[in-house]
Amino acid sequence: MGGRKLLMTFPVTATSHTLADYRARGGYETLAKVLREKKPEDVTKEVAASGLQGRGGAAFPVGRKWQVVHLDDGQPHYLCANADEGEPGTFKDRWILENAPHLLLESMLISSYALQVRNAFVYIRGEFDLPYRRLAAAVEEAYEAGYFGTDILGSPFACDIVVYRGAGSYVCGEASALITSIEGKRGYPRNRPPRLTVKGLYQKPTVINNVESLSNVTGIVRDGAEAFKKVGTPKAPGTRLFSVSGHINKPGVYEVEGGYPFADFLRNELGGMLGGRKLKAVIPGGISAKVLTAAEIEPLPLDQPVFEAAGSTLGSGGMIVIAEGTCMVRLLQVMLRFYHHESCGQCTPCREGMGWLHRVIDRIVAGEGRLEDIETMHHVSRWNDGTTICGMGDAAGYATVAILEKFRDEFEYWIANKRSKCNGVLEVGNA
Amino acid sequence: MPEIFIDGQAIQAEPDQTVLQAALANGIFIPYFCWHPHLSVHGNCRICVVEVEAKGGSWLDISCNMPVTEGMHVLTDSEEVRAQRKAILQFVTLNHPVDCGICDKAGECTLQDYHFAYNGSPSISRDAKVHATKFFDLSKRIVLDNERCILCSRCVRFTREISKSHALGIENRADHSLVRPAEDRRFDDDPYSDNVIDICPVGALLSKQFLYKARVWYLEPTPSVCPGCERGCAVQIWHRRPEWRLNALDPRQNAEIARVTPLENPAVNGPWICNKGRDLARIFERARAEQPMLKGKPVELAAAIDAARRLIDEARHAVALVSNWGSNEELAAFKQALAGRFAASFVKRDRQPEPGERIEDDFLIRADKNPNTAGARALFDDAPAALPDGADLVLVWGEGCDFGRLPRGAKTVFLGSYLAPENGHADVFIPVSIQTERRGSYTNFAGTVSPFEPCFAKKPSVADAETLFAALAQRERATA
Repeated sequence: MGGRKLLMTFPVTATSHTLADYRARGGYETLAKVLREKKPEDVTKEVAASGLQGRGGAAFPVGRKWQVVHLDDGQPHYLCANADEGEPGTFKDRWILENAPHLLLESMLISSYALQVRNAFVYIRGEFDLPYRRLAAAVEEAYEAGYFGTDILGSPFACDIVVYRGAGSYVCGEASALITSIEGKRGYPRNRPPRLTVKGLYQKPTVINNVESLSNVTGIVRDGAEAFKKVGTPKAPGTRLFSVSGHINKPGVYEVEGGYPFADFLRNELGGMLGGRKLKAVIPGGISAKVLTAAEIEPLPLDQPVFEAAGSTLGSGGMIVIAEGTCMVRLLQVMLRFYHHESCGQCTPCREGMGWLHRVIDRIVAGEGRLEDIETMHHVSRWNDGTTICGMGDAAGYATVAILEKFRDEFEYWIANKRSKCNGVLEVGNA
Repeated sequence: MPEIFIDGQAIQAEPDQTVLQAALANGIFIPYFCWHPHLSVHGNCRICVVEVEAKGGSWLDISCNMPVTEGMHVLTDSEEVRAQRKAILQFVTLNHPVDCGICDKAGECTLQDYHFAYNGSPSISRDAKVHATKFFDLSKRIVLDNERCILCSRCVRFTREISKSHALGIENRADHSLVRPAEDRRFDDDPYSDNVIDICPVGALLSKQFLYKARVWYLEPTPSVCPGCERGCAVQIWHRRPEWRLNALDPRQNAEIARVTPLENPAVNGPWICNKGRDLARIFERARAEQPMLKGKPVELAAAIDAARRLIDEARHAVALVSNWGSNEELAAFKQALAGRFAASFVKRDRQPEPGERIEDDFLIRADKNPNTAGARALFDDAPAALPDGADLVLVWGEGCDFGRLPRGAKTVFLGSYLAPENGHADVFIPVSIQTERRGSYTNFAGTVSPFEPCFAKKPSVADAETLFAALAQRERATA
């Protein structure tokens, strides 16, 4: 079901996250083999050849990012796993951190070897408790077993790892804000240029990858790029973890092979809609991905290029399924409250725009909206597109515009009647 | 040297320049709030947006963080750029109170200028503005209006990169962000704090001294030199324009220093000065001595000059203590006209550090708190600890002389500017003009000569040292 698996390949038990169990599954053998037999540039070549795309939201090819780092530039390089997973609706990395922390660590060691990184970092979301404890315990186990430190597995390779806990800022999941936060500064994103692979953490070349992207590295190096490319679709190979929430019978984290039809996913894995309601819309990849109506998403396979062609994205894999009866005005209100709260306040369009959008939607919900408020929200979104330092302004704008355009009738109804077209209440489960 | 094209004009840019720097260096203006030539690039205001024309289509980005590349084509005023600027200004003014009518910055406010130049439309928002703190005491000298603040972070970067006090930071997020003092620092301890008032592009950071004192368009600046230490920073002394003289309301304001701001001089102080330089009124607006006196008895200026001339003529062993607050021109006039008549002429240190004042640092502040020590010492020797015995006349020019330690029995001629007990004790007291009343120049510790211009007219009863020395040098006709 859901196609082949690359990450969720073992049954989760009370001990499946431990080093002993991971070793029993063949853990750290790939690392040993890499250190014994491969040159760093071979690993990078393999990862580049696999076509692995970033799983944090932007779907940037991992290999292309790595190839910017020159191994012989005489500078220290840094690797950072982005475990800040703050995109609303997304909780897939949490599954890896809780159940396969050693897979992440082994992958990071292999990646560190490829990029010649002496110090690697994991920036983990501050709200994560169990994932942090599991990861910290795994780091301890790995140190004791000699996978970190100097002379790793008898090779000259040395690597240390620091697990850095964030303080709950959404923007710190953005790569440049994340490293600024590690540096001990206020979590503000940085302007590009320079790219982080040129000047990142402590002004040195830095590679930042999502937890899921990194966790795929071990498998790619173990089985080869060709084997990885056979899974999924040609343009977006491999599997994807989806964290699915909303009005479905079986919310949770699922690994799905690229190209698996959404309709099958909803019916088989997710157990169908809650209470047998009709599907209204889906936010496919975290709330920053554009909403797709039921008619738009039902025929689509879960494939990044297809979703891009449909005007949205699989983004971070945080899928929110929305049933008929949900009020999109209130949904947008909740989203904009979030964006307003989480805008870092550094650059003008997002700092002022998010509050503006929030105040307008609050006013509409309070029954004091006017039709031109919809235009105002379009205006604010339009001028957050491409005008900000990081992608948060753009993303908030896209998400807002998608909801406004696709469900404009609900906004007009609320403005005219001072109440929700959907009666404002969704009594799921009682239906 | 990469050649780039801005609005079709070919420009030879420096390889490490940004588009904004290259444009400004070549007389093409691109608006900016957060960028500052002496601070790091933060790129947060987004107003300096330009359009880059490329083969695959054009794109917009901020010019302050855009490196120049050979052959690039940039448009600073395309339709797209204008639209984006306008939208950014709508964002900037969204929560700005637009209280220009009561804002000290009005008239020299970047936001005001840009609003008229690039936006010009009223706000399209119908919602209430976000309220924030008014009159937040950032330090004893500076008051912060958070509603006017556009969060460009220039002040924060100044304390981190220039004054290195790290005293400011930003609290909270989004449109609740506030500039605040860092928890463990006091902005009061930063002797360069007032520079943030100048670099604030809006009226958020205001000087308490200058608060509501004057509209800036009633004032004009006169280039001058700060006499606070031997650095000799270039400053502008702001005072009321002659055409806006107050005749009835408060005429004293016509001859008062309204405020002091730095004048950029890369050789001396860059664009910064310390807080002492802002407080020149405290030096120059002390109670002035304007009455010539003979042993405390008021006389006409001419009579005092005559008496002094007679004492110099009669003296057999005269010693002079010259002022290191004298300009190069005055010192040269003394050397040329009078030094031959004195057995010895020494440089006196007019002023010492005040209690609590920062003595010295590695930025601007120097230990010698006098402006022209270098200029004076080029002409005269330093004063010894005690003047040689046997002097029968001492000419004291300027402050800082302990009359009790002068040789006993010597007559004294005192040239001073401020009210002091010594004035009445001197055999002859002649009031002389101060820096704000004359033209001249100082030589700073590094040998840089900086000129200053007069701001105010001196009183007729006050002498000008340069001409006074020539007058004193004339021998009495009877004896000639």
